[in-house]
Amino acid sequence: MDSLNSTIVSETVLDEIVEKYKGKPGQLLTTLEEVQEVNPLKFLPHETLSDVSKKLSIPLTQVYSVATFYSFFNLKPQGKHSIIVCRGTACHTKGSKALLEEVGHIFNYRFDDSNDESFYTTPDNEFTIKTVACFGQCAQSPVISVDNIIYSNVNSLKLLEAIKKIQRKKTKE
Amino acid sequence: MKITINNQPLEVNAGTTILEACESADFNIPTLCYLKDVSNNASCGVCVVEVKGAKSLLRSCITKVSEGMEITTNSARVQDARKTNVELLLANHPDNCLICDRNLNCELQKLTYVFGISGRRFVRTRKQYLDKDESSLSLVRDPEKCILCGRCVAVCSEVQTVKAIDFTGRGIKSKISTFLDQGLGLVACTNCGQCALVCPTGAITEKSSISEVWKAIHNPEKVVLVQTAPAIRVGIGETMGMPSGSLVTGKMVAGLRRLGFSKVFDTNFAADLTIIEEGNELIKRIKTGGTLPMITSCSPGWIKFIEHFYPKSLSHLSTCKSPQQMFGAVAKTYYAEKTGIDPRNIVVVSIMPCTAKKYEAKRPEMDGAFEYWKDKLNLKENESFFDVDYVLTTRELSRMFKETGIDFAHLHEENFDSPLGESTGAAVIFGATGGVMEAALRTAYEVFTGKTLYSVDFKAVRGMEGIKEAEVDLDGTKIKVAVAHTLKNARIIMDEIEAGTSPYTFIEVMTCPGGCLGGGGQPIPTNAFIRQKRAESIYFEDANKGIRKSHENPEILTLYTDFLKEPLGEKSHQLLHTHYYSKNNTF
Repeated sequence: MDSLNSTIVSETVLDEIVEKYKGKPGQLLTTLEEVQEVNPLKFLPHETLSDVSKKLSIPLTQVYSVATFYSFFNLKPQGKHSIIVCRGTACHTKGSKALLEEVGHIFNYRFDDSNDESFYTTPDNEFTIKTVACFGQCAQSPVISVDNIIYSNVNSLKLLEAIKKIQRKKTKE
Repeated sequence: MKITINNQPLEVNAGTTILEACESADFNIPTLCYLKDVSNNASCGVCVVEVKGAKSLLRSCITKVSEGMEITTNSARVQDARKTNVELLLANHPDNCLICDRNLNCELQKLTYVFGISGRRFVRTRKQYLDKDESSLSLVRDPEKCILCGRCVAVCSEVQTVKAIDFTGRGIKSKISTFLDQGLGLVACTNCGQCALVCPTGAITEKSSISEVWKAIHNPEKVVLVQTAPAIRVGIGETMGMPSGSLVTGKMVAGLRRLGFSKVFDTNFAADLTIIEEGNELIKRIKTGGTLPMITSCSPGWIKFIEHFYPKSLSHLSTCKSPQQMFGAVAKTYYAEKTGIDPRNIVVVSIMPCTAKKYEAKRPEMDGAFEYWKDKLNLKENESFFDVDYVLTTRELSRMFKETGIDFAHLHEENFDSPLGESTGAAVIFGATGGVMEAALRTAYEVFTGKTLYSVDFKAVRGMEGIKEAEVDLDGTKIKVAVAHTLKNARIIMDEIEAGTSPYTFIEVMTCPGGCLGGGGQPIPTNAFIRQKRAESIYFEDANKGIRKSHENPEILTLYTDFLKEPLGEKSHQLLHTHYYSKNNTF
């Protein structure tokens, strides 16, 4: 976990962000959002939650309550690339469970679907796989998002293609 | 505003909720998450009623009446909905009521019964099984039994402004938790137990010490002394089938003796002792320019609160230990010497209206008697013992009474044992908000002025108002005093002190609403009406006590002559005074 400490957003950056939103309506949400965005691993470490609590004078539990309520907030480090499988009802009926299992298979991880928000980051921190309840793209289900690009009517082939695209990009680098 | 309830016309003020309107017309509506003066987040759906013209059923706890509203409280549709809503809650609630702490005193169990629910209609939706949190010395949380009504969250944030717990997660992962899901014992929780007092189920309960106490009682080598806080005598009767606020001092003593305690002593004795020490400390601070305002230190929830939230102001606290701790220290030194009992064989059990007392007894610095005996008896560090060994709440004591089959209401009254059992009216009022202040003033006045105080009633500091103020004339020296109960009000007082605008010389703070009589260890339910009844009994006991000033308690006088020598003296400092620690700073 030592390496994670280096990913904590610096005090100065945090102060700048807090300064922008302090005292304004929705200050906690906007602050957390931006602090997560500037974090290299796109997550909110515990220290950050405590710091935000102190700087905004909002109780720790309330900060934690908000951070755990919104699926947008990550309390664990995120991989460089994200694969999000929609597990909403429409996508489910079009086979999104199988898609999720397939993604897991590609990265050697078994999603047992016992949680409705599954989450997995590869040990090399390259990929984070997670699920969401709905993308709002039900007409084109099943839907996945790879690095914020939404793929519709996904099947095994499309899925592999999308992931390969990233891997190809990486080898070029 | 004209409305009808079940076809019966009624006139109510605008702004009244449907629930209040119905109750005023004796149409009581079952509720679950709603709790008067505490929470109305309308999460459970038990209090629904039918309103003509409304598409869906309305939650009566949050819906205000409107002109011409026609309300039906018991239609088939309403009854069906209520039942279904409880059945939905039961989906994720265990049905092991037999072995639950709140068996027979559970609101969910009661509604399940009265609604005639005969089976588990819905399957469990929560996928994980949640662990118990036993990290706190005072409280145990069992999230499996939680129905997410939000009462504990409301009382913790609104009444106490502590905010140790909140809703976390979302959907079926919702639960009540702390920052980072740490244990309650690891976060800024004051252990006040108001959450346990308002919890409708067994999701938050005190950490029980009943089995340890039985073990001590059954051990022939141990001399088990019991002390009872002032607020127990006005609470315990309720759990034994008697009316709210029943004053049962003598029956309580008789009952405790029948449980097998070696001696039945009174925390009130130690309350008188506290007053002598604290009164003299106040006078010393006034005369020598010490830190003022001085604030009382009897309420351990309040102590932990100030340590967490206002650590800069710790010097304002009286250094006096609470009566519970003074009793323990005196019992294991003075009483041990007097009777020739090895202090290691003395077990001190406290009956407290309080869950925070369990934590207080285990504070590392609460070993005054061990420090006293260490050299005399050549004790090693690993032989250390606490001044108070076990703390039981009023509820736990009631369970022990019931375990032994005591017919409490019919017990003949008995008196406390001597020499730690005598007390004055000043001590009994410790159990009510304003009581410590009044008791201290009775003594401080006479010590300060050297004159006799004829009218001992300081009525300005009595009553249930959040913050009470009074000006007291100590024979020419006028001092302003304040009394606050609940930590929300304590916060107001503390903000004034930290801003340098506090006009007071002496302040009493009690953690719980109404003072100890409304403590987190008291019988469930405890509400405004019941608190009032208990307060009346406390002031009744005071008024009927022969002696009403702490410094006139003959057993206290003997204690000083034979042992302590003088207030604030060397032994007092060793045994009766303490210090406080800044805890992880928060706000």
